[in-house]
Amino acid sequence: MSDRILDVNDLAVAFGGEEVVRGVSFHIDRGESLALVGESGSGKSVTALSVMQLLPYPQATHPRGSVQVDGKEVIGADEDEMLKIRGDRVGMVFQEPMTSLNPLHHIEKQIGEILFVHRAMDRDAARARALELLNLVGLQRAEERLRAYPHELSGGQRQRVMIAMALANEPDLLIADEPTTALDVTVQAQILALLDDLKRQLNMSLLLITHDLGIVRKMADRICVMTDGQLVEQGPATQIFSAPRHTYTKHLLAAEPKGEATPSDPNAPVVMRAKDVSVHFNLAKGMFARRRVLKAVDEVSVTIRAGHTLGIVGESGSGKTTLALAMLRLIKSTGGIELEGQEIQGLKSKAIRPMRERMQIVFQDPYGSLSPRLSVDQIIGAGLRVHRPELSILQRREIVAEALREVGIDPAMQDRYPHEFSGGQRQRIAIARAIVLQPNLIVLDEPTSSLDMSVQAQIVDLLRDLQRRHSIAYVFISHDLKVVRALADEIIVMKDGVIVEQGAAKEVFTTPKTPYTRALMSAAFDIEVVDA
Amino acid sequence: MATRLVTPETDGSVGAGDRFRLSPLTRRRWENFKANKRGYWSLWIISSMVVLSMFAEFIANDAPLVMGYKDELYFPVLFEYPETEFGGVFETEAEYLEPFVQDLIKDGDGWWVFPPIEFSFETIDLYTEGAVPEAPSMRHLLGTDDIGRDVAARIIYGFRLSVLFGLALTFFSSLIGIAVGATQGYFGGGIDLFGQRLVEVWAGLPQLFLIIILSSLIEPNPVALLLLLLLFNWMSLVAVVRAECLRTRNFDYVRAARALGESDSVIMRKHLLPNAMVATLTYLPFLLSGSIVTLTSLDFLGFGLPAGYPSLGELLAQGKANMQAPWLGLAGFFTLAVMLTLFVFVGEGVRDAFDPRRATR
Repeated sequence: MSDRILDVNDLAVAFGGEEVVRGVSFHIDRGESLALVGESGSGKSVTALSVMQLLPYPQATHPRGSVQVDGKEVIGADEDEMLKIRGDRVGMVFQEPMTSLNPLHHIEKQIGEILFVHRAMDRDAARARALELLNLVGLQRAEERLRAYPHELSGGQRQRVMIAMALANEPDLLIADEPTTALDVTVQAQILALLDDLKRQLNMSLLLITHDLGIVRKMADRICVMTDGQLVEQGPATQIFSAPRHTYTKHLLAAEPKGEATPSDPNAPVVMRAKDVSVHFNLAKGMFARRRVLKAVDEVSVTIRAGHTLGIVGESGSGKTTLALAMLRLIKSTGGIELEGQEIQGLKSKAIRPMRERMQIVFQDPYGSLSPRLSVDQIIGAGLRVHRPELSILQRREIVAEALREVGIDPAMQDRYPHEFSGGQRQRIAIARAIVLQPNLIVLDEPTSSLDMSVQAQIVDLLRDLQRRHSIAYVFISHDLKVVRALADEIIVMKDGVIVEQGAAKEVFTTPKTPYTRALMSAAFDIEVVDA
Repeated sequence: MATRLVTPETDGSVGAGDRFRLSPLTRRRWENFKANKRGYWSLWIISSMVVLSMFAEFIANDAPLVMGYKDELYFPVLFEYPETEFGGVFETEAEYLEPFVQDLIKDGDGWWVFPPIEFSFETIDLYTEGAVPEAPSMRHLLGTDDIGRDVAARIIYGFRLSVLFGLALTFFSSLIGIAVGATQGYFGGGIDLFGQRLVEVWAGLPQLFLIIILSSLIEPNPVALLLLLLLFNWMSLVAVVRAECLRTRNFDYVRAARALGESDSVIMRKHLLPNAMVATLTYLPFLLSGSIVTLTSLDFLGFGLPAGYPSLGELLAQGKANMQAPWLGLAGFFTLAVMLTLFVFVGEGVRDAFDPRRATR
């Protein structure tokens, strides 16, 4: 038993001849937490997967380098040896708790399987151990939940089960690949606290892969910064944060969305007023079923003024997006909705169509919101074709080019297709599609959530800039309070379809009134668990 | 697995600078299809067979391709010439196989070039020695059927009719199926519910009996038969297209299009149908072979095309009626077997090419 639990030396990974990881070296000692930080595509997940030898071989190859787990070389190790290491010496927790559990087996069976394989336990012993593990990871009412299927658990609970599975055989090293990215902020704080706690209890090492510097600051003893398949800087966490040496690290640290919204005129004209808007879904249908109603949004009233940004925050399932879609009349709702003084609730969809140029929407996922079959020109020009059919093709192209210029994309790329752009560029294109009609209101539904940190900051700057120039009103939906703080004038906090707190952004951020808002704040800014 | 690790950026650079502006996806699918040797060769074979059969008149005909008579050129394949043109007595079209007509032409210093097969599908060979159905010989390569028509000629024409009929039936039933499926999938809700029940009830009708009953009521001809089969054939694509549209209609880019104020029909055409096209294209070869089988079985039962049309089903029926003449049944069987097998091979190739999981072969 050496103190060095993982030793990676000059590791390279290639896919079909193209090296995506080039000469990465780092090590982890017993009981230590190492964070592997970098943006998407930097090769951090691939590095972690090669420790487990879980890459799609033989397409993936290791041209050189070595990975030693507790002194044993794993590169080139045969499958039998790897099976002994995986799940036994090294455990792994994946990003997406929705898909990393098998939906067809209950929890007991999934945890038990690892115990059968590695410990050859019998059924009763495995059950006892599974229960012990679930208690260890803080799953409430663990005994009842042994027989639960993954779909009966929430995201946070599933992630706890995943951790329990990874810990089943008391591994020396736990690899956590973005373990909280798919979770709400309050749940994220709980899971991270749990990991930290377990690490201490079991004297385990932790390899944490993340793009979120807030988490790193909280969790890691040492940090490795990766970009473009190379490890550009490593050192103790305190040193990296206080005195970063490499330019990329500095860039990464400077990239967090900063600043506050510029003050805007409180007497600006009202763009949209929603009064007692409710969206109810009937859950049980059919003649004999008892009517059950899901109140996705329940009697919510908001007012948005020109040039203002209304931030809507809340956890997933709180009804933020549903409210926004209802305000744009993209889903059915009840209650009053006024666009610039004109009631639009109850209008026929044909009657609303001409008004749509005044209200636009930008979605979260720039990969899903642009049709892969249309060129950028067609995507952005679609709205013009509907609302300004008198334009000639050349005039339309000119307006589209202008919109592209405004969002910082070279108009020369007008005829390219979405797949030729990066995530940040795609989001800019989606924004161009929204602004090309010169709307007065844009709903931004988590526009930065699926982007890298440095790109997020750029998009926030762009949005602020566009708002200042055209005095557009924004409805900004996000679970990321840092981004909201950078943009919003007013904020509503939603939970279970109702508003729990509402007010000027500054007040809500500095002196939150309700315990729920307080819990949300501390989870987001300090990654601390506070009982709501 | 490996495809997921290819970033969109590197994926895109492949297609850049391509003059044809085939999207990289389409190109990759075409490459995948070509990589499937069996499907690729089947496509070539079946297409050349189809193209050749379009010129059936020039392959099997009882009129010469070209003919000289009194220093003038005649093209009996293309034009009708009355017998009187060559000094005969009848004002009807000349029967070039008749020795009397041939003698007339020879008298005018005539010469002629017949197609490889000297009989059309409806030509009854009156000048053969043996009894009908006649076994294969040099005169009739695949023998004759029970009223003395050349089997090879009938197969060539029958193949063409089957393929054309199958294509038409496939085309129109996909048209209706896609329209119905897209409407149901896009609007969902009540329309979808009603449409699905309608399709289920409609699909539950005993098709064959209805077709048999209806075809005894109306005068059968290819167009009527096409409409009749269309009544029951359009449902095959509904489920596929509907499912695809139900999935796509909540995509963000469809929502964005609605937020832009695009009309429902434009959204359907521009955003939903291209997605459904993959599933549809994958289905088409199988639909086509299914259509051909339907026509053939109706012909076999005697409820299909009226007598006189060259039909593979009728050939099979003759084979069944004349067990002492196995060339009838065998010729019909092998034609159908080869044709349908090739279509299915092509279909398999297309299906695999469109399957994203098979992207890296």
